[in-house]
Amino acid sequence: MIPTALALPLDRPAATTDSAPAMDEAAFRRLYERTARKLRGYLVRSCGNGALADDLLQESYLRLLRSRFEADNDDHRRRYLYRIATNLLRDHYRRARPTTDRVPDIGRAPEHDTAFHLRNDVGSAMAEIGRRDRQMLWLAYVEGASHEEIAEIMAIKAPSVRSMLFRARARLAEQLRARGLQPGVEAP
Amino acid sequence: MSTGDCIRQETVLDGVRRGSLPPELEAHCRECASCAELRLVAAALRADAEQLGQTGPPLPDPAAIWLRAQLAERDDRLRRATRSITWIQRATIAASIAIGAAFAPGWLARVRDLFVGVDLSPAALDLPRSAGSPLLVVAASFLVVGILALWELTAVRP
Repeated sequence: MIPTALALPLDRPAATTDSAPAMDEAAFRRLYERTARKLRGYLVRSCGNGALADDLLQESYLRLLRSRFEADNDDHRRRYLYRIATNLLRDHYRRARPTTDRVPDIGRAPEHDTAFHLRNDVGSAMAEIGRRDRQMLWLAYVEGASHEEIAEIMAIKAPSVRSMLFRARARLAEQLRARGLQPGVEAP
Repeated sequence: MSTGDCIRQETVLDGVRRGSLPPELEAHCRECASCAELRLVAAALRADAEQLGQTGPPLPDPAAIWLRAQLAERDDRLRRATRSITWIQRATIAASIAIGAAFAPGWLARVRDLFVGVDLSPAALDLPRSAGSPLLVVAASFLVVGILALWELTAVRP
């Protein structure tokens, strides 16, 4: 069971009223410094392309600023940011019209940046599982998101998360074991 | 070795977050396949995230993102401020088209009359006066204004 590391948001996905106060630059910089590296990690591992990850990262923050989203706290804003990034990623792949949700073979993927996925065994193992699996696992075990939060960020049904996460974990564990990684052994 | 979902998974995950597991939890992970798998995946992903955070290229400059947002915001404000003008232009276009359409049959008839059976009698040479009526002038003016408004609306702005 994944602990609830982040409080659930209110049922208010976005406030877009003209009168909503926008975030000031100092607050934006603070949020950026706190979240950008982790968000880029999420995007890099989700799409396997450093340049695309940086583009989506910038676009995510831009949309966050333009949305005039009124968050209750930074965690709330951070979840909204991940949701924007996830939607942008989905839109990107939808525009590209992929025939499958799996990452193409590393050697043949047109925009696959091997430097990111093959930098270590974990990266190459992640490249072997589906994009949605990668996103879910990252949110659960790196971000510490609860099932409800994962459902909210990925726009899927909360009851499905548990079984989907279980299957994703099994698939990644299989890939990690195939690379000789064992529990307690640090990834190179 | 058990393979089902284990009630100690949350404890294992806490241990992974702290960086080490107590001996009894280590022993449990050797017996429980589910916890061993959880530990393997969570530890690997956390190590990977840490490595990505430390070794990745520099982040994009937040000042550039902020500036882009400000420019977009300014465009939005400008669009909101000129919305009423845009609607007036649209209304003018619509009125022009309507008036033009209402008078089109009459104009066509006049034009046709001009070219069918052309004669050089004084009445035909006196074209501007015979073709012009106050209503036609108004309609033509509206058409011109409408075309100008349409051109203004569709002009590509830098």
